[in-house]
Amino acid sequence: MKKHVTITAEPINESALLSQRVMSPGMGAVVCFLGVVRGTEGNANITALEYEVFRRMAEHQINLLLDELAQRWPIDSVRLVHRVGLVKVNEPSLWVEVIAPHRGEAFAACQWLINEMKRAVPIWKKPVIGDRL
Amino acid sequence: MMRVTVCFYSYFKDLTGCARTTEELADGSTLDDLFRALVVRFPKLGPMRKVTLIAVGVDYQNLTYVLKEGEEVSLFPPVQGG
Repeated sequence: MKKHVTITAEPINESALLSQRVMSPGMGAVVCFLGVVRGTEGNANITALEYEVFRRMAEHQINLLLDELAQRWPIDSVRLVHRVGLVKVNEPSLWVEVIAPHRGEAFAACQWLINEMKRAVPIWKKPVIGDRL
Repeated sequence: MMRVTVCFYSYFKDLTGCARTTEELADGSTLDDLFRALVVRFPKLGPMRKVTLIAVGVDYQNLTYVLKEGEEVSLFPPVQGG
């Protein structure tokens, strides 16, 4: 399985990522997920989330998850970008693309990966309230 | 005796007032021994015991893990990636 993991403070450039997509022969499903910063956290209105990462461990844990994902489903490719630092409301903090022969495994693998990330990958977020931007 | 480096992440930095420290422990000490020693120095960590995640290097470990000289231990609250 091909895998490409990026953790970056730069904005996620979705159109550039889409233009770099490579489809292998026999692949019939592409699932993309975009996680976007919501304007509310609990009952409070927020202006951004500030993401903190333990980078070495985050990259290692994501790679462990991708190894397990490859054991569970016949996935051809996963690309994942997680933004860290200050991310404004309505901007994406996570982009995931899963390419597989069929939609069933592509949807299942993508959902599993995002659920597992929330359990294992050392990234934390802190809401920013007001005009600190 | 041995010395380990301890790193704190997220709001654990606020609870301890630092991002990094060192701790001296008896040879053969476990992560549980380390946590107890840290609670003496940083009492606000005490109530966090049940939710604390602990890594040695880049891998999660449980409290029975036996530490070795020079290892880097990270303590942090539940993660929120994605």
